[in-house]
Amino acid sequence: MTNHFGDVVGHSKVIFIIGANSAAANPIGMKHFLQAKDRNNAQLIVVDPVFTKTAAKADHFLRIRTGTDVALVYGLMHVIFKNGWEDKEFIKTRVYGMDEIKAEAMKWTPELTADVTGIPAEQIVQIATILAKTKPATVVWALGITQHSTGTSNTRILPILQLVLGNMGKNGGGCNIIRGHDNVQGSTDMCCLADSLSGYYGLAEGSWKYFAKSWGVDYEWLKGRFAAPEWMQAKGFSLAKWWQGVLQEETTYSSSPVRALWVQGNGITSMSQQVKIQEALDKLDLVVLVDPFVNEAAVLTNRKDDMYLLPAATQFETEGSVTATNRTSQWRSKVVDPLYESKTDHDIMFLFAERFGFYDEYTRAMKMAVKDRELQPVKEEFVWPDDACREIARTIKTIGLGGWTPERLRKHQENWHMFDPLTLEGKGPMKGEYYGLPWPSWDENHPGSPVLYDVNTPVTAGGMGFRNRFGLEHDGVSQLADPSVSVKDSKIAGGYPEITKDNIEQVLGITLTAAEKEKMGANWKVDLSGIINEKCLAAGVAPYGNARARVKVWQFPDPIPKHREPIHSSRPDLVERFPSYDDQKNNFRVDVKFVSEQKAQEWVKDFPTMLVSMRVVNLSGAGMLERTSKYLSHLTPEMFANIHPDLALQYGLRDGDMMWLHAPQGTKIRVKAQYSLTVTPDRIALPYNFAGVMQGVDLSDNYPEGTKPYTIGESSNTITNYGFDIITQIPEYNAGLCRIEKA
Amino acid sequence: MIEKMRDKMTPRIGRRSFLKMAAVGAGVGAAASLPLGRSLRAATAAEVKEPFPGSKRVKTICSICSAGCGMIAEVQNGVWVRQDVAQDHPISEGSHCCKGIDQIDLIKSKQRLKFPMKKENGQWKRIGWDQAVDEISGKMLALRKENGPDMAMFLGSAKFNLQQAYYFRKFAAMWGTNNIDHVARI
Repeated sequence: MTNHFGDVVGHSKVIFIIGANSAAANPIGMKHFLQAKDRNNAQLIVVDPVFTKTAAKADHFLRIRTGTDVALVYGLMHVIFKNGWEDKEFIKTRVYGMDEIKAEAMKWTPELTADVTGIPAEQIVQIATILAKTKPATVVWALGITQHSTGTSNTRILPILQLVLGNMGKNGGGCNIIRGHDNVQGSTDMCCLADSLSGYYGLAEGSWKYFAKSWGVDYEWLKGRFAAPEWMQAKGFSLAKWWQGVLQEETTYSSSPVRALWVQGNGITSMSQQVKIQEALDKLDLVVLVDPFVNEAAVLTNRKDDMYLLPAATQFETEGSVTATNRTSQWRSKVVDPLYESKTDHDIMFLFAERFGFYDEYTRAMKMAVKDRELQPVKEEFVWPDDACREIARTIKTIGLGGWTPERLRKHQENWHMFDPLTLEGKGPMKGEYYGLPWPSWDENHPGSPVLYDVNTPVTAGGMGFRNRFGLEHDGVSQLADPSVSVKDSKIAGGYPEITKDNIEQVLGITLTAAEKEKMGANWKVDLSGIINEKCLAAGVAPYGNARARVKVWQFPDPIPKHREPIHSSRPDLVERFPSYDDQKNNFRVDVKFVSEQKAQEWVKDFPTMLVSMRVVNLSGAGMLERTSKYLSHLTPEMFANIHPDLALQYGLRDGDMMWLHAPQGTKIRVKAQYSLTVTPDRIALPYNFAGVMQGVDLSDNYPEGTKPYTIGESSNTITNYGFDIITQIPEYNAGLCRIEKA
Repeated sequence: MIEKMRDKMTPRIGRRSFLKMAAVGAGVGAAASLPLGRSLRAATAAEVKEPFPGSKRVKTICSICSAGCGMIAEVQNGVWVRQDVAQDHPISEGSHCCKGIDQIDLIKSKQRLKFPMKKENGQWKRIGWDQAVDEISGKMLALRKENGPDMAMFLGSAKFNLQQAYYFRKFAAMWGTNNIDHVARI
């Protein structure tokens, strides 16, 4: 989120929700949207393939054909550009590459957009007009946008819309992306990810050297831990396709096949391609599942040996911070000691680090601190989680976690009643700080940044421009903000580059002492001494620069987002005009099919119904957690599919009848047909939180005694179609096809 | 259809008998002098006011979704006895969804995994932590010797706290692989 829920209540005049069903997945977020309607008469626009509970509260509902989000947004921009309603000043001074977007948008007439998206042309004009005439508007999305073979383009086109409208860096505007799990933002920021080190530092040698230093270990030792240096800098297998590392049906590129799977708190049944995952689980040499409940991977597989379940404590049996969807950090106090024989996740990591022979290196940094501008050992014992918290604060510069000390976070928790819900501003003893110090919180005195990219607020009070991340110029055009765009109270007028040891004196107009030069890191991201940060804040300068937002990513297969038909498209007539990408070699160590799968056959002939995943209010993620709750599980006592009666009757299905759903990859599930008018007859919608039944086979016997949840059911992910995003490799959950058969 | 579902949800207590029970309950509240069973007695005024004497109220955060709602957990003698909304929390302002308000039950769920287990010859078997750690680390190191560190795939959690997430990334790095991921990718 660039802004926060309270900001929407306080300021938004339009809330444009696309691919998110807050009323079910995130009801307290939804409460804020309803407050904005009540208090500000904000207009709620909902775009979704299904008439969701969120859509039921909308002023305008746009029923979109799955996988056509880019087309829709270009269609909206077409109307905006054609009428000259774009924010010309904002684009001229703070954006790079908009001409190409405009040229693409001009192709997307309301008529073409209507044909591709299924949304009437008049409605496209109407919504574009509302967006252009009603400021500020905020754009909200979730997994309905990301979970596509074109997910990256989807997540780019929406911020581009906000740049066109000039809604970025403003109260009531911005892109408010609703994340899923409680700390998915934090775990992402810490990069439990195959393509980056914590804080989005990447995997290049310089990043590893910085982390070796930050961890207090020898870089050569760390390098020696890897199969070879090349593998240290290569992305690993991803969550989406790790199973190909085991099965190796598609070409893989790794120093070893995957032979052991170590899962710590990750619901494997929420991943697509369940049949492949089952095969991989069966084939592995070792499976270790660490969770407070039985991870249903253990139930999915039919393996007989070499599988372990370790009981982890829940987050109420330990202590630490959690990052909310708006970048706010909240301290979560321990409620009770670990129940039964469970252990906290970090204690389990410590236990194994010891057995694996790297415990000393692993925990060393918690006994270190920056003293006299240098990181050095300061004590014999560490205190969890306080010292880990301090380690993160002093190490992660990229997103500005310098202010997140355990003392400050605890103080925010103790005084949470002192913060204004609409602005997050502190009152009384908390005056001058924002609740939970939303990142960036550059240092121990910084109040946090509730609204990103706001140049009308001083850096020391949470303001900033766009980050200078991609060089000083491209194609001869400066990437820095226009001279007219100065961050309030900044010593430097106009745009400026990210700050490095080499440019700091020139940019800030200061002279460093010899001692400062000696201790300073090469740039703001790797400066453990903290000098760059200090000098920048003193000058009212954001260490990461004040640049233009680029709408053109010249390294991507689609430098500007393009509409591409879903791999399993319901409109073969559009596949020729808007084909998927060329097949991809080696992304996350494995090949990925795109156009070859798309054109392998005319899928819609055999699989005529669109398949959409959806959320229900009582379940989240893989659902294992809530399905062990008597009360929550009984709201959806079994797996079902929402189906329009007209479609159902074509197959002789009455309300409540069982049906088989077949997927293009030859998999099937047996579920109950639940009549619903929320879907049109061309599509069905499935909740995605069930497991325990596989292609009609009840797996109850695979649960250890007494651990089976109250409800089990077929996982929709068994029939989720093949498809992955070309950049992130996120699976295609939301634009697939299926065939219905009466069971 | 909804009626049908409701019937399934309450197999033993129909709506009518539920109302009857509620009426009896109200009667007990109104006239505490009603004869009660031997094992029951009326709560004293002090007990009504403070049912969990000596308990402490712990401020904490819901672990379901990323909205970040505040929660008050009431703890007595190390047992989580009651969950309350946090009226003064700046994000949730006293609200909870059905999942959040049920956190106390989820955590105390009977289906928790209570001890380490292994599957042997197709049967689940209870084992101790020492055995689990011995066997797992032995197998991991043996596989590592054969194929190098990329033989492992580590999947972390969006339910880790921030410190644990950082330490899980470091764990994979020091094991020697980038085969690490979590549900941000779904």
